Amino acid sequence: MDFAFTEEQQFFKKIITDTVDRMVVPKAREIDEKDEFPWELWKDFTKLGYLGLRYPEEIGGMNADPVTAMIFYEQIARGSVGFAQSVIMNILMGTYFVYRFGSQAIRERCLFPAMKGEKVATMCFTEDQSGSDLSATRTTAVKDGSEWVINGTKMWITNGPVADFATVLATTDLSLGAKGLNFFLVEKGTPGFSPGQVLDKLGCRGTVTGELVFDNVRIPEENLLGAELNKGIEYLGEILDEVRVMTGAMAMGIAQAAYDEGLEYARKRIAFGKPIGNYQLIRAKFADMATEMEASRLLIYSAAWKMKERLPSRIEAAMAKMFATETCCKVVDEVTRIWGANAFANEYNPQRHFRDARFLLYGGGTHEILKDFMGRMLIGK
Amino acid sequence: MNILVLVKQVPDPEALVEIAASSKGLNIEPRFAVNLFDEFALEEALRIREKQGGKVKAISLGGPKAIEALRTAIAMGADEAVLIEDETLAASDGYNVALALSKAIEKETFDIVLAGRQAIDADRGEVPQMVAQFLGLPHVGVVVKLDISDGKALAESSLEGAKEVVEVALPAVFTAQKGLNEPRVPLITGVMKAMKVQIPKVAVEDLGLAKDMVAPENSKTKIVGYLPPKKRPAVQLIPGEAREAAAEAARILIDVERVI
Amino acid sequence: MDKVLVFVETKGDEPRKASLELLCEAEKLAASGRFSVEAVCFGAMSDALKGKLLASARKLVRFTDPELAVYSPEGYARALAGYAAETGARMVLAGATGTGRDFLPRVAVMLGTGMVSDVTGANWFDDPMTFVRPMFGGKVFAEVAAPASPVVVTARPNSFAMDIPEGINGEYEERAAGSLADAIHTRVVRVEETKGDAVDLTEADLIVAGGRGLKAAENFRLIEDLAAAIGGTVGATRSVVDAKWRDQADQIGKSGKTVSPKLYIGAGISGAIHHIMGMDTSKVVLVVNRDPNAIIFNYANYGIVGDLFEVLPAMTEEIGKRKGRG
Repeated sequence: MDFAFTEEQQFFKKIITDTVDRMVVPKAREIDEKDEFPWELWKDFTKLGYLGLRYPEEIGGMNADPVTAMIFYEQIARGSVGFAQSVIMNILMGTYFVYRFGSQAIRERCLFPAMKGEKVATMCFTEDQSGSDLSATRTTAVKDGSEWVINGTKMWITNGPVADFATVLATTDLSLGAKGLNFFLVEKGTPGFSPGQVLDKLGCRGTVTGELVFDNVRIPEENLLGAELNKGIEYLGEILDEVRVMTGAMAMGIAQAAYDEGLEYARKRIAFGKPIGNYQLIRAKFADMATEMEASRLLIYSAAWKMKERLPSRIEAAMAKMFATETCCKVVDEVTRIWGANAFANEYNPQRHFRDARFLLYGGGTHEILKDFMGRMLIGK
Repeated sequence: MNILVLVKQVPDPEALVEIAASSKGLNIEPRFAVNLFDEFALEEALRIREKQGGKVKAISLGGPKAIEALRTAIAMGADEAVLIEDETLAASDGYNVALALSKAIEKETFDIVLAGRQAIDADRGEVPQMVAQFLGLPHVGVVVKLDISDGKALAESSLEGAKEVVEVALPAVFTAQKGLNEPRVPLITGVMKAMKVQIPKVAVEDLGLAKDMVAPENSKTKIVGYLPPKKRPAVQLIPGEAREAAAEAARILIDVERVI
Repeated sequence: MDKVLVFVETKGDEPRKASLELLCEAEKLAASGRFSVEAVCFGAMSDALKGKLLASARKLVRFTDPELAVYSPEGYARALAGYAAETGARMVLAGATGTGRDFLPRVAVMLGTGMVSDVTGANWFDDPMTFVRPMFGGKVFAEVAAPASPVVVTARPNSFAMDIPEGINGEYEERAAGSLADAIHTRVVRVEETKGDAVDLTEADLIVAGGRGLKAAENFRLIEDLAAAIGGTVGATRSVVDAKWRDQADQIGKSGKTVSPKLYIGAGISGAIHHIMGMDTSKVVLVVNRDPNAIIFNYANYGIVGDLFEVLPAMTEEIGKRKGRG
């Protein structure tokens, strides 16, 4: 078994790590403190072309395989989660169905500009009463002549307040539950489509997250993003694994950022005459953190490899997400313990990693749902 | 305009460097980077090419891992790269390294050679000037501004703080100092190209140098051991309010330490 | 007897400190009876300068070629290497100033030998001679043996003592290297003094450095005042330079300047490792920081935990008073 990244992947990792260190890391604190969409960094970073990471070279993308993509997600999250979420939305969830099902006109209006950072994309699933339980979706899409009429309110939408276009999950028939779900493209400027309340979040600040309101929004037929009606859940399955593993990769980025802070502190902080890294209990923390991070990464990259090889990866993706996010929560906790009182100061970084990590517990599916799903798969019906 | 850039792969500035138990070697954390000052050299080469047209070629002397530094050069925009692969030679003294590099450069057609002013591992700052001397070319060191026109260069050198504007006809060697430019971050298209590119390697023998000429035993200077930096005694805190402490500090510096 | 050539750099009427330090070291070599020492200099020489040099070196050789009036790497290298070859010198020494580090490598190649750059210690009487020099920004020091002859060395300023004994009355000789015009291909078009007579940080004996704790560019005035009071040079951390409060030339640290002063006073500096690497070899370090846990206290001889906005002006005043009293 060859567990190593290819030489190409190693090089890519080196470059993106360096790029994030230079462009994103110095701005991370400010992004968190201001809690506004970081337009300047967005412009500078998107010029580099990374938003086309997953799409074919023919349309200006990089055609990156899932392993390479995970390397990217890990590093960008290590730099700044507030920035990473916005970037990843454009790279994956916010554009995937547009790429997959959109007409050429839609691609030109939405996908290509999004790949260049000229437009901000988003995906709208969650509602006030539906998160993991998509069958409880109440946003409706009703056919009226050659148009669809969308009604509903979406919540917790990353990039929502600034999005130029949104992929909206809506049901054509409330009685069908999950089987009535479809994706629709709604663009900014369409009457009835407006951003609502902006959320004031514990972490991932800098990503503007909020409500999106759809009040009798009329969109043309071709804005149904799907080859067939009512196959939304099935189509979602196409990126579900990637979204889960991606969340795990982000978890490792946050964990690494925290871990590095912990390492520096353990080496330099002097107590009782020695750097605290000399003491056994501190050393034990690093042993545990490093081991679990290594295990997390193995799960993440092996799930990504399976995806790359088109092998079944549903359960592995769930495992990777679950384990990596739990590990991250442990790491950020341990690092704040290593930092002692200084972890409590907003002047330093460990508090930011501690806060940012919490989103992992629900982003991409809550733990509880994942465990239930995995148990069901393992035991059988 | 054909521009050659000398690039060295060095341990990452944050890599752990420890003296081995024997004191004869170093244990260095295996994290690598392109030498900081070489980035300025690369960036300047790319800017000159943007203004004047031409080709940028990166040359490195190093072990097999140094290929990554050359890939980075390509990702930034260099047209070509070549690795003189010899791990032992790369760790040997400046004279031998410069000799080998100058042999490689001799085979090229070039107008400008750009290098970083020093490598942040060895901190010698010798090789580019030695290369210039081996090649019989003039050099301008510690350059913070470089203008090229009509086969001539106008270089601002900041050797001692003052800026000397030096004119020199090409071909010439320049060493880059911080402040010369802001190195670009590679675009994804550059990264993709660099990931796929095949970078040629040459051995020291291919340069017309007998292996024993540059063998470590025949080095002009040799590292025979390592020492840790001197330890300072524990800090003495000066107590009291600002005025009190300040007065006591003045007394210590003037009467006790006698440094002012 | 082995001959040692010491290249002496001058600035106006003054020999550079780094050169005087080497002359002092060289005098010890001469005193041992195993070496004969000659100081070599280029360019204009006033009587005042000549007097100072002849009190510091047993023999001073000045090259009068007009091409050497202004520094050029090829000109200086050709003249110095030529003389070293002519006299069969065993050692060629120079201060590791910007100039010294720039042209001595060319001298080494001209003499077919290697060099040891930026040494902080030397074992002149060992065979082969060994030197100590910093690597990795000072994280580690290497012991370097120089078996090839001649030995070409540049020495870091402030590494050797400058206590030239009384009673030296050197011999003076003028020479010409000859045919330098063909050797020199660079031409100095103009010189822009950026800081007037300010001592360069790398050679400064006394440094007062400021960091982000000063909160704003204007507050660097406190650092400048203290520096003026002690007759020192102002330094800054990387974050201050990145924030554009101070010039790159003021930066002390891994990608800035490495300093080795007798006294380093730091205020509002937390002690990030890249800054530490640039000043850790300072002889006496005194720091002011309101955070008792600031890393920099671990690298200091003396520390004041307090508000620099009160402490610095108080120190400036105290020192001014003391010095005024004489």
